[in-house]
Amino acid sequence: MFCRNQTARATIARGSALEMEIRRGKFRQSVLMETPQDSDIQKKIDYEIRMREGACKLLAACSQRDQALEASKSLLTCNARIMAYMSELQRMKEAQVMQRVARRSSDAGPMDDRSPCKAKVAISDLRIPLMWKDTEYFKNKGELHRCAVFCLLQLGGEIFDTDMVMVDRTLTDICFDNTIVFNEASPGFELRVELYSCCSEEDYSAGSTPRKLASKLSTSLGRSSGKKMRGALEPGACSPTSNGGGAAILLPVPSVPGPKYHLLAHTTLNLSHVQDSFRTHDFTITGNEECSYWLPLYGGVCCRLAAQPHCMTQQMMSGCLRVKLGGEPQGWTNVYGVLKGTNLFCYHQKEDMEANVEPVLTIGINKETRIRAAEKDPHSKAQNICITNQYGGEEVMHTLAADSREDTQHWMEAFWQQFYDMSQWRQCCDDLMKIELPSPRKPAIVTPKQGSLYHEMVIDTSDDIGTVTDILARRIEEFDLRSQLGSPPHWMSLFDEDPPRSPHSHQHLPPHSPSPRLHSRCHRTPGLLSSNASLTSDSDSPTSVRPCFRQAWSPDSNSSSGRFRPRTLSLDAKLSTLRGRGYGGFRCNCQPPTASSGSPRPTQIALSCSSSTSSSSSSEGSNSQESDLGFSRPSSARRSLRNLRAKLDPRNWLQSQV
Amino acid sequence: QQRIEIHKLRDGDNLILGFSIGGGIDQDPSQNPFSEDKTDKGIYVTRVSKGGPAEVAGLRMGDKIMQVNGWDMTMVTHDQARKKLTKKNEDVVRLLVTRKSLENAVRQSMMQH
Repeated sequence: MFCRNQTARATIARGSALEMEIRRGKFRQSVLMETPQDSDIQKKIDYEIRMREGACKLLAACSQRDQALEASKSLLTCNARIMAYMSELQRMKEAQVMQRVARRSSDAGPMDDRSPCKAKVAISDLRIPLMWKDTEYFKNKGELHRCAVFCLLQLGGEIFDTDMVMVDRTLTDICFDNTIVFNEASPGFELRVELYSCCSEEDYSAGSTPRKLASKLSTSLGRSSGKKMRGALEPGACSPTSNGGGAAILLPVPSVPGPKYHLLAHTTLNLSHVQDSFRTHDFTITGNEECSYWLPLYGGVCCRLAAQPHCMTQQMMSGCLRVKLGGEPQGWTNVYGVLKGTNLFCYHQKEDMEANVEPVLTIGINKETRIRAAEKDPHSKAQNICITNQYGGEEVMHTLAADSREDTQHWMEAFWQQFYDMSQWRQCCDDLMKIELPSPRKPAIVTPKQGSLYHEMVIDTSDDIGTVTDILARRIEEFDLRSQLGSPPHWMSLFDEDPPRSPHSHQHLPPHSPSPRLHSRCHRTPGLLSSNASLTSDSDSPTSVRPCFRQAWSPDSNSSSGRFRPRTLSLDAKLSTLRGRGYGGFRCNCQPPTASSGSPRPTQIALSCSSSTSSSSSSEGSNSQESDLGFSRPSSARRSLRNLRAKLDPRNWLQSQV
Repeated sequence: QQRIEIHKLRDGDNLILGFSIGGGIDQDPSQNPFSEDKTDKGIYVTRVSKGGPAEVAGLRMGDKIMQVNGWDMTMVTHDQARKKLTKKNEDVVRLLVTRKSLENAVRQSMMQH
């Protein structure tokens, strides 16, 4: 009698010395009997605790908003997982105690209850519509309310988080591309979907910024209960209650600096929501528009929730059978039968099944099928199995026989189990639902907004080192171009002695547009260039470059020799690889630019070959200035050195990404 | 000559087109791998991001950009070219490009070997 879903339990022999000792209370049984599942969970908890420590450290150490948001998300996910594992451990211990109690009192036999098979449940294509007020949507104010959001999904003991998405007024929906698969779900599963949000404005304050919406969004929770819920979610007040109470799956977080996510909306999905297509479900919104993390959710979430029960994807039973084919009463044919999904496939032989050869006969096994064991056939030793189906109004009956009585029993049991599974999994057993894991996409290389070169780069496993150096080279050239505008990023001010912003025009540079430009530093950096050139022993820059610099910058060349920062070995290696690949260096154009539309400024030549653009640039979009302002300071020194060294190399043919 | 209309893709605060350019009157034209005439200082498409707005619009690597939204690109510096393409208030750029015929491209690659 095969029974699935029964966990293995170690038993202590009755009347043994060990049992006597336990009864006397000398040992706690749980101490002795740490089941394999216990240690599994313990290991998982330890792992998550380590991850959590790492996330805390990262959060404390990182300086950039993006990193902090990601680290905070990891922290939240780790906490949730720890909570879930601990509750599961608790449940298991309790179950063990209950079973032990039951067994001690009676000599319980093996469990008779039939349990349904498990399934793979996948949720994908999550889309949460937003409802910005009309004027808010189209009014592009300077201040853009942005939030970082992600979803936390929990089923049973498994918790997954989606990628983080930045949301602002320009989006009509929050979309998550992830497909999340839970592996061992039972028919009564509850998939909890939670949307977490964190305000991402520059002036991030602990208080909330009130947002006025003309229409109050209807939420499932009233204002007062929403406030209560929020109060319960504040760190410290939250108690580790079970999910059934509707509380969020959060631990009270130790106060860690950095951005904090708040629960914005949640819903719970179960078997009734499973369908092989997209459906919209209600999304319960917590919080209100006074919160900083508020987003105008429409109140629904659209997704595809699919389930593949094992009875549909796995072979539930297989073995040799005899089937009566044709009208002859005595005509038995030997087949190899495989029960899978809604069919009993009968192959000529077992090897055919493995070789994917078509079966000789396929008998449908579904909700409409009737199976019974026939009376004992006087000619055979065992009972026959009669399977009756309705094929388009006609009743068709197949008769099968197994080799022995036990086999017949096994087959009947398998059919009963299959019927049971199908009754439990309902619509999932009509047809097999597809679950697809999207292949890892190559991340789009977008214009770097801010941050260090290495931090921003996402390397695919399929990238080879050539692609990596490509990316680096392009990035370096990007930075090159920005500084060529005649207004290098403000991190260059590290090399200044004067205070950073002097809007008053320097004597070398004529004033441009009214916007505060950072050109006061133009004249200084080439001084650094010259000092760099002299320090690089492996520099490929021809000597012709240096005199050019020196001539142009002699008044300033002595200003910056002391500000040289140490380089790391890896940077050197990367740069020499770049040079070796023929990306070339920066060719210094020592003549005044030919197509100058502005007044010639000889002092700027060495740094920017396109100095003539500066005068016209004021009339065009100043996007490069804006993005420059976002540069962070600490890693900038190394980067500027890299840029300058790349510039000195005269073999560059610059490329820009647009 | 071909007219290509690219609709920029919004990525946060940025509008991206999904390709890279090389060239310019301030650049060394001999290093341009796409040009037939090695003294050609025009603006060339050096890379097209897969699935990006430029690829979708029909832009191909090696195209020479003659005009952007009516602005001439045959006598501009590298940075001027970049700026004409990345104006923040423009969602669409209309390019006029010339493309080397396949025959020429094959001939040239053969000559290089």
